[in-house]
Amino acid sequence: MILISFDIDGTLVVGDPPGILEVDLVRAAKNQGLLVGSCSDRPISAQRALWKQHGIEVDFTVSKHMLADVKAQFEAAVYYHVGDREDLDKRPAERAGFEFLWPHEALEMPWLSRGSCGAATKQR
Amino acid sequence: MSTPTAPYSMYRPKEGLGPWEHRGKVAAVGIGHSPTARRWDGRPEHSVGGISLMALRRAIEDAGVAADQIDGLVMDPVTTTGAYWPQGKPIPNDMLAVFKATDDPLDGIAKLSADWILNNMPELTNVRFTMYGPGCMSNAICVAAQAVGDGLTHTCLVLKSWHNFAGRYYQGGANAGNAIPGSAALRALWGTPACYGTALQFAEYCRKYGKHHDMMAPFIENSRNNGLKFPEGYWAQHRPEQITAEDYKAARWIAKPANLFDNDLPIMVSAAYLYTTAERARDMTQKPVYILNHALSDGRPRSLTPTLDEVEAETARTARKIYEGAGICAADLSFENMYDGFPQFHQFHIEGLGYRGLQFGDALDFYQGDIGIHGPNPILPSGGNIGCGRSRFWMHTDCIQQLQGRAGARQVTGVKPEVAVSGGPMPLGGHFTVWSATPD
Repeated sequence: MILISFDIDGTLVVGDPPGILEVDLVRAAKNQGLLVGSCSDRPISAQRALWKQHGIEVDFTVSKHMLADVKAQFEAAVYYHVGDREDLDKRPAERAGFEFLWPHEALEMPWLSRGSCGAATKQR
Repeated sequence: MSTPTAPYSMYRPKEGLGPWEHRGKVAAVGIGHSPTARRWDGRPEHSVGGISLMALRRAIEDAGVAADQIDGLVMDPVTTTGAYWPQGKPIPNDMLAVFKATDDPLDGIAKLSADWILNNMPELTNVRFTMYGPGCMSNAICVAAQAVGDGLTHTCLVLKSWHNFAGRYYQGGANAGNAIPGSAALRALWGTPACYGTALQFAEYCRKYGKHHDMMAPFIENSRNNGLKFPEGYWAQHRPEQITAEDYKAARWIAKPANLFDNDLPIMVSAAYLYTTAERARDMTQKPVYILNHALSDGRPRSLTPTLDEVEAETARTARKIYEGAGICAADLSFENMYDGFPQFHQFHIEGLGYRGLQFGDALDFYQGDIGIHGPNPILPSGGNIGCGRSRFWMHTDCIQQLQGRAGARQVTGVKPEVAVSGGPMPLGGHFTVWSATPD
């Protein structure tokens, strides 16, 4: 199982500033059975509203410092966080035990480009 | 035209000065705002100069005066607190093509002079008085009020503008160098975030009065609620996001006990007001809002960061100056619009004022009650920087609009808008204005 966390601003095209990742990529990841959510400095309620607006039922929405909580909550073989900042994405992600991907690196991952994700997951 | 910085003699820094000599004889009439943006997109018309021209022209139109009637301009030449033009980066050619530049190539881009404004507003043919009130609109409007009262100008535009560029805020300028001049070196040396000093004071406040950080949640929620009803604001225009109590409590620390939502968002925006005499205001389009007083806080802390004791002493002293010059008392305030950037010092301002009978240590309990615009105890109906983005002027625009009865969805209804106070920025170091719907 793969869990993937997306930063929003500077990472997704709907971010402020816009990033390079289309929301449809998130949708595709979710449809392939990945555990998907957002980890952003946006208010949690605003993150939920964003996903609702795009019709994507994400598994988690957390603040930037809460990736460790996500890892504790969900069981997965590998945990990724995709973001655009060294200080606010890469370092905290790695501290929380996540693999880190810049947006352009995420685009090259097979589970985003074509999709394969393994079996259903369970929540801890 | 040479533009001086306002001399100290134009301010009201002391207790015992009595009622302001121009009480009720100066009025704010017109308001003009530019649209907001998170950062400059590089288009000349969206530069800090470009949006300033827009705000000024809107204020003139709003007041219903002819441009040639305007004889004064008061403004702040500094347009950022932490976004600097990268060294060596060329000035966009189209900026030079669209606007008439001054000798300083960054004028209109990363700073703003009165000359730049006058160069690019040829319709202002009769401006004879220009002056700088640096720091924020709170300063500039006090200078304008005094200048109009003193007869230095009779119809005066007041301007404050902010730029923001791509990249990290606070990472350029002196912060990018190998040396920091002056006493700032002692603070900046350790790289503390801007909210650090206020967070220290707030931590001491919580300890002294037995309060805790989460008690700020209703204030933040209320601020964003009000800001989302402010169509001129950033969040209303671009990201209509509420901050719930859950959001607030889940945010990461920036300088504990100050978290992400205890900080505001740097934006690009410009606002202008038209000040005039009470007599001239009667013939203008909008209802005059009379200035009852302006006051200066210039207290100096004993050390680098003011202690809570120093903050409380100064806000109480400022309140006495405000009330004495205006000839009012705390009970006369319909509402308050003191500065909130940072939110954790807002309570220092209103406790000093004794707003609604508050004593020191009371405000966070007060926030747990009805502090909304439809209740009897409105707190910061503008929404401030938290509700609208960093500008330091939402509270002034809101006071004028509320007293003119044109605050729209934000209009206070639980109190009759008659007298209001606004100002800042800091509890130690700020400029304050008392506004009234009537001249007396």
